[in-house]
Amino acid sequence: MPETDGAGTTSPPSVLVADDNEVAQRLCKRVLEKAGYPVLIAGDGLQAVDIALHQRPAMILMDVAMPGIDGLEAMRRIKAEIPAMPIVIASAHSMSSDRERFLAAGADNVLSKPFRLADLISMVQSLVDAK
Amino acid sequence: MRQVARGSSRTRILVRRATPFAAVAAVFAVQALAQAEPVVAFPLYLSIVLLASLQPDRAQSFAVAAVAAVAVVIRPLAANRDASEVASSVLLAAVLLGVALAIGELTRHARAAASATERQLDELTASDRRLRAALESAEVGLGLSELDGKLIQVNERMAALLGRARDEVLGDRLVDFASPADRAGLEEGLAMLQNGDVTRWEAEISQSKGDGSTVPVAMFLARLPNTATGEPVVLVQETDITARRRADALLDCVAAVRQIIVNSSGVDSAMPALLSTLCSYLGWTAAQHWALDADGKSMRVRYAWNGSGARADGFLHASRGIALAQESGVVGRAWQAGTVTAEIDLEHAADYPLLAAAGAAALLSAVALPVVAGGEVGGVIELVSDVRRTPDDDLVTMLATAGVEIGQFISRAETAQALRRSEADHRTMFERSPIGIARISSGGELLEANPALLQMLEHDVDTMRTSAWPDMLRAYDQAASRSQKAPFLAGITDGSSLQVRAATGAGNWLWLQLTVTSIPDSSGVPEHVLVMIEDVTAVRETSDRLSEALEAQRDANANLEKIDRTKSEFLSIVSHEFRTALTGIQGFSELIRDGGLEADEVRAYGGYIFNDADRVNRLISDMLDLDRMESGRMSMRTSEVDINDVLMEAISRAVPGAVTVEFKSDLDPRLPIVAGDRDRLIQVVSNIVNNAVKYSPEGGTVTLSSRADGRYVLISVTDTGIGIPQDEIGHVFERFRRVRSGAAQSIPGTGLGLTIVKQIVEMHGGKIWVESAVGHGSSFHFTIPLAPESTNALQLRHA
Repeated sequence: MPETDGAGTTSPPSVLVADDNEVAQRLCKRVLEKAGYPVLIAGDGLQAVDIALHQRPAMILMDVAMPGIDGLEAMRRIKAEIPAMPIVIASAHSMSSDRERFLAAGADNVLSKPFRLADLISMVQSLVDAK
Repeated sequence: MRQVARGSSRTRILVRRATPFAAVAAVFAVQALAQAEPVVAFPLYLSIVLLASLQPDRAQSFAVAAVAAVAVVIRPLAANRDASEVASSVLLAAVLLGVALAIGELTRHARAAASATERQLDELTASDRRLRAALESAEVGLGLSELDGKLIQVNERMAALLGRARDEVLGDRLVDFASPADRAGLEEGLAMLQNGDVTRWEAEISQSKGDGSTVPVAMFLARLPNTATGEPVVLVQETDITARRRADALLDCVAAVRQIIVNSSGVDSAMPALLSTLCSYLGWTAAQHWALDADGKSMRVRYAWNGSGARADGFLHASRGIALAQESGVVGRAWQAGTVTAEIDLEHAADYPLLAAAGAAALLSAVALPVVAGGEVGGVIELVSDVRRTPDDDLVTMLATAGVEIGQFISRAETAQALRRSEADHRTMFERSPIGIARISSGGELLEANPALLQMLEHDVDTMRTSAWPDMLRAYDQAASRSQKAPFLAGITDGSSLQVRAATGAGNWLWLQLTVTSIPDSSGVPEHVLVMIEDVTAVRETSDRLSEALEAQRDANANLEKIDRTKSEFLSIVSHEFRTALTGIQGFSELIRDGGLEADEVRAYGGYIFNDADRVNRLISDMLDLDRMESGRMSMRTSEVDINDVLMEAISRAVPGAVTVEFKSDLDPRLPIVAGDRDRLIQVVSNIVNNAVKYSPEGGTVTLSSRADGRYVLISVTDTGIGIPQDEIGHVFERFRRVRSGAAQSIPGTGLGLTIVKQIVEMHGGKIWVESAVGHGSSFHFTIPLAPESTNALQLRHA
């Protein structure tokens, strides 16, 4: 796993990818690292909360359907601690009602799976750059 | 005589007074001439004195006697005769004076007596005159008759009563004047008087007058004591009782009317009798009752009575043909005014609608009495007469009274008839009603039950009263209590309705609807209670069935909703599964397409793509399989299957996973053959085995066992894996359950495997269930029925 160089030096902003699907993890990691963002990986909700609170990524790409606590619960816990943490919900639940639900739960943006790689990159860029 | 004397002249009186003195003087002269002795002349003197003394004038008679005495004594005295001669002369003179005195006295007495008698006679005459005057002016007829009734004397009134002149009557017998019917009675009365059996006799009889009419009289006869003539007579006293008779007739008529009213059962029987009574008691020719029409605008004859034969028939017939308007004729006026109205001259009554008919029947008078009830004229009774009649006040009063009484009677009779009809109607309703009706006392006792009720409940009245009704009453009160209504006898209830169960005499149970209405008496206290009882069993059953059907429909709707919800969830889950798989496929293929990858990168990404594509393919296959199974379109290729063989095949096909597990088998060597689709059964076991492997830890054990269990073969797959939480066990066979569960999320699978397994087992007629304890592992068990005669086949195979 790639590691950031720790305590907030001038290293590039990292992105936390929280997803229980290995294929999805690999895809995001590959694409985002190629785009210049170090990637942190969490395989379930609790892990995501843990990494988010301790390693303070620049933003989080969060799946919903995960073992343990789901992505929305993880997001709630993270935002409770770090309200400014940008979180994009990336879910295969991609009906329009789902999108509303996620935004209402506090997501900064929603990325429907499957996605175009360019969309992933631009969404990450916009949130990271805005910071 | 005295009156005559008074009427004579004074001269004659003087002559008469002077005559005796002249006679005395003449005798004296003759005596003196003849020189006769006074004795000789004495008789002459005596005669003169006697005659003079008879005269009423006593003074003159004494004067005459004195003169004669002087004439007797004067000669002897003058001739100086001897004393004896003088004495005898004096004696003669004294005789003359004495005679004159005595005669005078006698005459005076006689005159006094005559005068008294005359006075008495005068008084008698006056008395007689007064008596006669009194008799003549008496209002009663008086007369005297002999004992045989021959009239001796009658007064004017009596003669008038007999309708004859007084002298026409005298000498006729009383009996001759009596009406034929009364003659025998009168004869008998006279006979009794004659015999002296009675001294008085009285009776009311009719007498014929000279003009042929009759008059009712009260006759009083008294035998008078013997008179101077020696013959006893009879005093006859008669009083005209026509007026009293008429008054009596009126009273009798009123009494008869009341009698009819009291005794009659209805108007139809009473009215002809009433009309007949009015006619006969009051002496009218015919009568008819005009009754008000329903619209109150006209009157028509309803009843008629003809008391005089055919002549009035035409009139009555004509009356029947007309509708009489108010103010029309005597009847219309009586109707209008509400008072008794008379028509004295029917022949010239221009407003009389039956003028011609009345003329033809020779009817001359009519009187109409309104029949009044409750202040309203409900009809008019018209009496007609062929005699000209002027009703007097008594008759008018009587007719008015009769009109009111008849009116009240008609009103009462109509009310009574209406009541009877109403009663009969209600009785018919009660008897014929298809609804059961019971009348219950205020104490809750059954008083009456109609045939419909008895038939409905298959009881007789006694059973109904003693057991069925009390049961029903209890059931009612219980039902009332449940529905918070008043109990049966709680007071006034009006149409309160409840349904109760009741057993019939034949033991069938019915649902009865009881509708309760209490009937209060005049003071408002419930007198009895009317209960309508309807058999609503069919209705209840229908409604029960209906509510069952509704319930089923609700369930079905709920199911449909559930299915609908499940379907949406399913769609959501499936799309999630597909999109998850496609995320890798699309993302990595995009990377490969864009190029710039290392060869090993491309290979690795191709592997991801292949796996996800394969997963999508399996997903589709599983879904299609499941759909075919659930819709019954999945065909089974059934054959005889050896389950042990199936289990071994499944183990050999087990997908090697990330971990290594040990397979154990505990197979019954004498396992019977089952009938089934071998490939499907392998699919079942493989699926369970692959699951077991997936959830097993490194070095875990998966044990497959088989054994016969009655008519089934029981197959079990037991692992030593993570186990299934208790709240999940019930759901493991549901679609995509895996996706929603917790710790095993990372393990690949379509989430449809166990659902398909359950379907296949059930298609074989078996059952599947799972036992599990978290941390200790899970056991999946399923049964497959034996093939028919499979025992033999098995034995053959294993022999």
